Amino acid sequence: MFARTSLRELAHKPLRTALALTGVAVSTAMLVDMIMLGSGIETSFAELLGSRGYELRVAPKGTLPFDTEALIPSMSSLRDTLETVPGVAGVAPVLAAAVDLRSGGDGSAETPQPRRAFAMGIDPDEQGVYRLIDGAIPSSSEILLDGPTALAMSIAPGDTVGLYAAGGFGVTGRSIRARVSGMAEFFYAAQGDSPIAMRIDDLQALAGRPDQASFAMLRVEEGADPEAVMTAVSASARRVEVVTLSGIVSEASERLSYFRQLSLILGSVSLLVASLLIGTIMAVSVSERLGTIAALRAIGISRNRIVSGLTAESLLLCALGGALGLALGIVVSGYLESILSDFPGLPEAVRFFVLRPRSLGGAYVLLMLVGAAAGFVPAWRATQLEVVSLLHAEEP
Amino acid sequence: MWLAAVVVVASAVSASSARAQARFAPVAPGCPPDLEVLVERPWAENAGLVTGDEVALRATADSGACTARVAGLFEPPPDPSRLTVERPRVLFHLPQLAELSGRANEVDQFTIGLTPGVDASRVAARLEPLLPGAQVLTTAHVANRTSTTFLVVSRFHRAIGLITLVAGGVFLACIMVLKVQERRAPIAAARLVGIGRGLLMGWTVAEAAILSALGGLIGLGLGLVASRIINAVYQRVYDTTLIFSRVTGEMVLQALALAIVLGMGAGLYAGRRLFALDALEEVGR
Repeated sequence: MFARTSLRELAHKPLRTALALTGVAVSTAMLVDMIMLGSGIETSFAELLGSRGYELRVAPKGTLPFDTEALIPSMSSLRDTLETVPGVAGVAPVLAAAVDLRSGGDGSAETPQPRRAFAMGIDPDEQGVYRLIDGAIPSSSEILLDGPTALAMSIAPGDTVGLYAAGGFGVTGRSIRARVSGMAEFFYAAQGDSPIAMRIDDLQALAGRPDQASFAMLRVEEGADPEAVMTAVSASARRVEVVTLSGIVSEASERLSYFRQLSLILGSVSLLVASLLIGTIMAVSVSERLGTIAALRAIGISRNRIVSGLTAESLLLCALGGALGLALGIVVSGYLESILSDFPGLPEAVRFFVLRPRSLGGAYVLLMLVGAAAGFVPAWRATQLEVVSLLHAEEP
Repeated sequence: MWLAAVVVVASAVSASSARAQARFAPVAPGCPPDLEVLVERPWAENAGLVTGDEVALRATADSGACTARVAGLFEPPPDPSRLTVERPRVLFHLPQLAELSGRANEVDQFTIGLTPGVDASRVAARLEPLLPGAQVLTTAHVANRTSTTFLVVSRFHRAIGLITLVAGGVFLACIMVLKVQERRAPIAAARLVGIGRGLLMGWTVAEAAILSALGGLIGLGLGLVASRIINAVYQRVYDTTLIFSRVTGEMVLQALALAIVLGMGAGLYAGRRLFALDALEEVGR
């Protein structure tokens, strides 16, 4: 009954209702987006890291993977050590280095302009940083490319390319010719990175980093506790940093804390705006109906019933505006995501706005609570007034 | 000349630091003699390091430690990209770092000074083919590359600002409609006694403009206070002189003008709706 009465009241003032609904919808959209942003990076980064089944990362002491140019020396012996640690099922070392990629591969002046590529030296059998899409995993003097780089440089599987170690000058620069063995998707590549993968020993030779790695990914045996394995690995290899995925996620989240703080502030402001808007509308609406309220009380309608009716009206505004806001928020988050997707240095797969039913539900519940409070306060105050004086005041 | 460290600074730096000693310990094999470094001030303060202390440095995680003397502390330039980076910056003499890291005759980058008037882009284009494996970038190019983060954040802020503007506009329109609806009868009466629509509309719009200007001024005041709080808090948190939030005169004028225009628009809209009603009927109510 409350809903029907509230609907009738709202329909009686269509312009006011439409504006209030629009205001609530925009505020809710902002709130939803800020809730999505608040936990989006963390959720999406955790999903990305956990997607390949490597639960631990080993990096040079004091660093995180892809964090600095520091390298792990004597990787072979470290790998042997790590493989003996109980609970470790596999070790995938990765060396990252910048190289210049030139199609044609003969290095002559006529060949096209080189492209700075982000090369990853990998153990081809451990597909921890890439997923093969087409062709074969690279053998010696072979590389894998990603689609956009291949397209931009008109390179196809089977072609030969030239690779030049970045930082080597003139004729003394190290270079190799390599065949493109296939195409791959690279999980950790940032936008515009031009990632390539090759055997780690090939890249070590090209980059002049013999037996060195940027980091290693560790697969933990099924059923083993990653934290316990981390402790065991740390005890066996004291000169390296061993971190769990949650440790990396927490560090990344800390570095992008700006977005978390922004989302908290703007989310709170959105809620405040929504509550002010509904509060104002309801206060005016109640003051316009003081006479009606007094008459209702005069004929014996209880205060609770009147307050419930007015609060229901406010809740209805929030429910309708909130539903519109949820839809609007999802659309707007796509637009904001497209802006932040240019953020440098982050893997392309990482999303800032992650849609989670729980977040949406949380935003909706918050809004309804605010709406209930905004409707309850003016209604309760109105019912506290003296009926007789109200009726006198309403006399023409 | 001091060069930023690329090597791993052992985590034991603070643990192994010692107060100034009169003489250096004997030089370990592979360590440059008389090794000295500059350490950035905030990190040094946290680690309790002062000029003259000794620290242990390793080129790689498994190499032996070299003892270096802290020759001084330097104030890091305010760089937003390093705000959340906890590793310290340590500056070395170039030959000492080259020796320590085993990278003799290698550098990560170097700068080239040009004769005044020479086009940097042309020089870069002519130099790059001569240096396979190296990139030759103009200062403008480097600045453009390193500012990508801030350009993205700036675009994001503009988008958020636009949404806030829509929310504010709707809020204002709502308030104006409520205010005008409150005065349907007096305005209808004014129309009936012969006051022109133009004048009444002018009053309505002027009132809306004054209301939004006052609201805008209060908002600006809140914004200024918030900006000061943000700067004070974050400068303390990150121990930096960076300006996190800046309110300029241009911004103030823009915000105020926008608030007034929005208010006038809302007033005009609400007024037009009001004047479309029958005055007699409104008074009859």
